[in-house]
Amino acid sequence: MISVRPVPADKHLEFVRSRPSASFLQTPAWARVKPEWRAESLGFFRGDDMVGSALVLYRQLPKLKRYLAYLPEGPVIDWESDDLAAWLAPMADHLRGQGAFGVRMGPPVVTRRWSAAQVKEGIAEESVHRLDDVPPLERAATGARVVAQLQELGWREQSVEGGFAAGQPRHNFQIPLKGRTEDEVLAGMNQLWRRNIRKAAKQGVEVSAGTDLEAFHALYVHTAERDGFTPRPLSYFRTMYEALGAEDPDRIRLWFAHHEGDLVASTIGIRVGTHAWYSYGASSTEKREVRGSNAVQWEMIRDALGAGAEVYDLRGITDTLDADDPHVGLIQFKAGTGGEAVEYAGEWDLPLSRPLYAAFDLYMRRRG
Amino acid sequence: MTLTLTVDGDRWRGHLRELASATPGLVPVLKGNGYGFGLSRLARRAQWLHDQGLGVDCLAVGTYDELPEVAQRFHGDLLVMTPWRPFGAALDIDDHLAQRVIHTVSRPEDAHDLLTRRPDARFVVEVLTSMRRHGHTRRSLDETVQVLRDLDRHPRIEGVAIHLPLASGSHLGEVRRLVNTVVGAELRTRRLWVSHLTRDELGTLRSTYQDFEVRPRVGTSLWLGDRGALRVTGTVLDVHALERGEVFGYRGRSAPKAGHLLVVSGGTAHGIGLEAPTGDTSIKARAATLARGGLDAVGFVRSPYSIDGKQRLFAEPPHMQASMLFLPQGARVPAVGDEIDVRVRYTATSFDRVVVT
Repeated sequence: MISVRPVPADKHLEFVRSRPSASFLQTPAWARVKPEWRAESLGFFRGDDMVGSALVLYRQLPKLKRYLAYLPEGPVIDWESDDLAAWLAPMADHLRGQGAFGVRMGPPVVTRRWSAAQVKEGIAEESVHRLDDVPPLERAATGARVVAQLQELGWREQSVEGGFAAGQPRHNFQIPLKGRTEDEVLAGMNQLWRRNIRKAAKQGVEVSAGTDLEAFHALYVHTAERDGFTPRPLSYFRTMYEALGAEDPDRIRLWFAHHEGDLVASTIGIRVGTHAWYSYGASSTEKREVRGSNAVQWEMIRDALGAGAEVYDLRGITDTLDADDPHVGLIQFKAGTGGEAVEYAGEWDLPLSRPLYAAFDLYMRRRG
Repeated sequence: MTLTLTVDGDRWRGHLRELASATPGLVPVLKGNGYGFGLSRLARRAQWLHDQGLGVDCLAVGTYDELPEVAQRFHGDLLVMTPWRPFGAALDIDDHLAQRVIHTVSRPEDAHDLLTRRPDARFVVEVLTSMRRHGHTRRSLDETVQVLRDLDRHPRIEGVAIHLPLASGSHLGEVRRLVNTVVGAELRTRRLWVSHLTRDELGTLRSTYQDFEVRPRVGTSLWLGDRGALRVTGTVLDVHALERGEVFGYRGRSAPKAGHLLVVSGGTAHGIGLEAPTGDTSIKARAATLARGGLDAVGFVRSPYSIDGKQRLFAEPPHMQASMLFLPQGARVPAVGDEIDVRVRYTATSFDRVVVT
């Protein structure tokens, strides 16, 4: 019998620390990054033992005291279990009691993997448009079992057309680090990446970790203008940096690549246990030829290796392999690191109040 | 004097070749009455498709009892689609056939039983579709995988069998769910035997599951896919003029008006006048069924025989090998020995003769 109840943030954090890893979106600190939503730390208990945790963000329906309970890349439970109902039913009961009309979660389980070489061939091949068109290197049994059980339990898969819709990305690009040396990881990169890393070093690009959030943000706003996306305000990064940093001094790191005193690239890296993420990045328009972005990535990868990380996660990609798609450049950049494209089980909804959920679903569709 | 299926041989063979070359991995299904052609003729034809280089290396039969009739005429693998059970003809397979037969396993206990009796048995694992006829649920599939592991051998799994219903709309969502279940159960195979997918659906399935081999099982659209190549005829055996009120037939009915009584070949023994329910549940279809059932009570009922393109009425319920039709005054009266067209359901008809031109 598993029961679910709220736990204090320190107990939540203690549990996350006891695990090899969890998504940073499931750490208690992440609640402080999203102050516009009510957050709750939950513990899953078998008897007195805490065996799972969840960070729940309650998103309120306009004008109503009813919420969508959102568990980004969570909860942190035993997804290998053959009896997910035993975990999810008490969680749903608790969330219903908190006024949730529905639950949305993103099981952190992989369903398929593709090698960087397959991604590259896919982009070159004209008849291939999406990752779906390429036979995967692996279909993960655990992921398949999770999907099958969620379907049986009445959860609904949220489709993410084109990849970057609402919610967390379903397809990520990751470099496996477990059991590999720096040289091996470097050797796994494509020629261009290796050349760029060497070139940056030769040109005297220096990469360092630092704390100057304003400098990062200024370059990030510059990047946003150039690449045409809406930047987040400095306050968002400040909250994130402080919240995650307070939880663990190694949780979040700012990285800077300088060339002759000029800041040419800057990134944010996050690590929870054995999983390290490249989270945000910025680069100057000037001096692109010194390859600051490659240099900073390489330094982050080395740092992750040094910290004992097993995965370096470059986060979301779309599933397009269409050479004409504007998103393909991002995939090509990430695929150059070697590694693999991974597909997660995606985000799943459980309606708790049918009419309210239906209304919400309709609202989201219209908005989308 | 016979109910005859006449096949335009060139056209029929052309259709078979065309369909086989457009359907990679094709597994011809031949079962029951052999779609009207007979099992042995279809088995020879399947071998012919193979000999044409069209890759037909396996055919599917419905039951174990059908094996002897096809095994001599087709030399490849033989898939039996009815799930194996520990009784009946499944246990009496000739040893010389054993290695060609691929069984269908739909329950964990049968996997155990079959492999205990025949450790080298080849088999496909059937999963339960929305049709809910035979097959494993997710849980029982896990059990079967456990059985296979416990047997501690390399069982010869030939794939997963998916028997889809004749639903309108796309099957792909269901197939995706089922394949996901197979992946989750860690069944060691990457081959899918599927039925009732359109060409487009097969194409999508193949591109989405390129790491799987797809074997489409096809019966009706293969053998009966080009109806224009097929003609069914009965022979006019006798013609009698009838006056209004004259009595005729087994049941002593009287003619409601003047005309002719035609005695034609084809009766209940051939399947004439009997029909398998079509599954059409519309009011109209049900009314039509009622009307046919009420043959005796009210007037005459439409027969499957047509003369000069017009469907004619049964004068009374079909006899065992012949039928009586009523031809009203004014219609052209065919001569004894003339052939007239009959519309039949091929899977429910046994012809006296099949002529392939």
